[in-house]
Amino acid sequence: MKKLFYTGLLGLIFVYGFTTIQTTDNCDKKTLTASCKKKMEPFKYDSQKFTKVTFQKKTQQLEIEVPVFIGEKYRLVFNTSSLPKPVQVNVYTKDKESKKREAIYSSKDLKAGENEIVFDAPRVRKLYVDYDVPADSTNQKLSGCVVFMVGYK
Amino acid sequence: MLVNKKSFVLKSAMLIATGMLLASCGSETPKDDNLSAGTDTTAAPEPTAEVEDVSYSLPSPLQIASIFKKSGLKYKDGITSTLKDPSKYGTNLSKALNLGVYSADLSYTVLNKQNQEAMNYMKLCRQMADNLGMGSVFDQGNLSKRFEKNIGNEDSLAYIIAELQMVTDMYLDENDQQQVTSIVFAGAWVESMYVGSKVYEKGKDKSLNSKLAEQMTILGSIVNALKAQEKKDPAIGGLIADLQGVKDIYDSLPSVKDHPEANEDTEKEMSLTDDEVSTLTTKIEAIRTKIING
Repeated sequence: MKKLFYTGLLGLIFVYGFTTIQTTDNCDKKTLTASCKKKMEPFKYDSQKFTKVTFQKKTQQLEIEVPVFIGEKYRLVFNTSSLPKPVQVNVYTKDKESKKREAIYSSKDLKAGENEIVFDAPRVRKLYVDYDVPADSTNQKLSGCVVFMVGYK
Repeated sequence: MLVNKKSFVLKSAMLIATGMLLASCGSETPKDDNLSAGTDTTAAPEPTAEVEDVSYSLPSPLQIASIFKKSGLKYKDGITSTLKDPSKYGTNLSKALNLGVYSADLSYTVLNKQNQEAMNYMKLCRQMADNLGMGSVFDQGNLSKRFEKNIGNEDSLAYIIAELQMVTDMYLDENDQQQVTSIVFAGAWVESMYVGSKVYEKGKDKSLNSKLAEQMTILGSIVNALKAQEKKDPAIGGLIADLQGVKDIYDSLPSVKDHPEANEDTEKEMSLTDDEVSTLTTKIEAIRTKIING
């Protein structure tokens, strides 16, 4: 009886511990940064943004505004490998409130498992990066992060 | 029987503790305790689980210096900020702003091959970062030593500054201090605009004029980036108001107001009249004086 109790208790503890680890984002920023930096060459590092993504019951749209300068050449590098589920990356010329915005990049056609994106931006006044986060109804509190790096020439 | 009961309670407690420990593994964000020291809230935010719908990725001081350099901005002696003991700045907000000022001066001197000045600003940036509790970023990849070793080699120094920016960005993010990034950049932007406008006063170079005007287009993003962090750090309210004041002046200038398409057209370069540049310079100079006086 005692043995059965201990086994049950141990099982419960491990299930609790395991699920908690699963729901915590596993974002190794150093490794992700190093990977983006490699893809950035020969552009020079300018800035980077880590975005924590927590999947919710409803869809989300997270936006990053990137001011750029006319005449400069820009490269955008993304790494989504720490996400438990794919998130669509889109780049626009205007913010999400604007009706005149134009999509200049979308990751929708990427093959499954492709989680590094390199995009050389055309001549624009500003860049808006959107992450379209799908809904998650599993109640697993899934989360992860996207690393986004900007470089210039 | 009593011993057995005790043993059971002890074992159960140990198992639960093991489970809790296991559950907490990997969930901690690294924290630098030094950053909590300070009189204002700039370096001591509460970790937050809140995800902002819109965030900002501001450029580096090096890129701004590089753009000015390409437009023909020459080195002018005596316009960069004077070297000041970092401990003289009273608040973390003031230290972060002046770290930005020195970063801009560092980039300007490096790109103009002013080796001794560049060394002085690098040392000051290090001291200022130490004062903010983030001096360790200078030790990553031997950045300080590599800088000294490569003095005189403009390309290598620019590469090292870019690397320093990268490790700083990562450090601040890991320590949930993204607001410091925006504050440092605000200080760098004010200093870059001050240096650019002072050089423009002498030569009235057309290309530099359009670069000064173009820099104004990112001011809205700087103000919004700071506003997004204001809840975390209410001390930045005054800085936001000052920068918004510059933006309001810019938006009301005839060259801007009468030609709204100039801000949209990617082929057209914006330019301001000398009087308009002078109006902006006066306001920027006042903010810069406020910053460097701490």
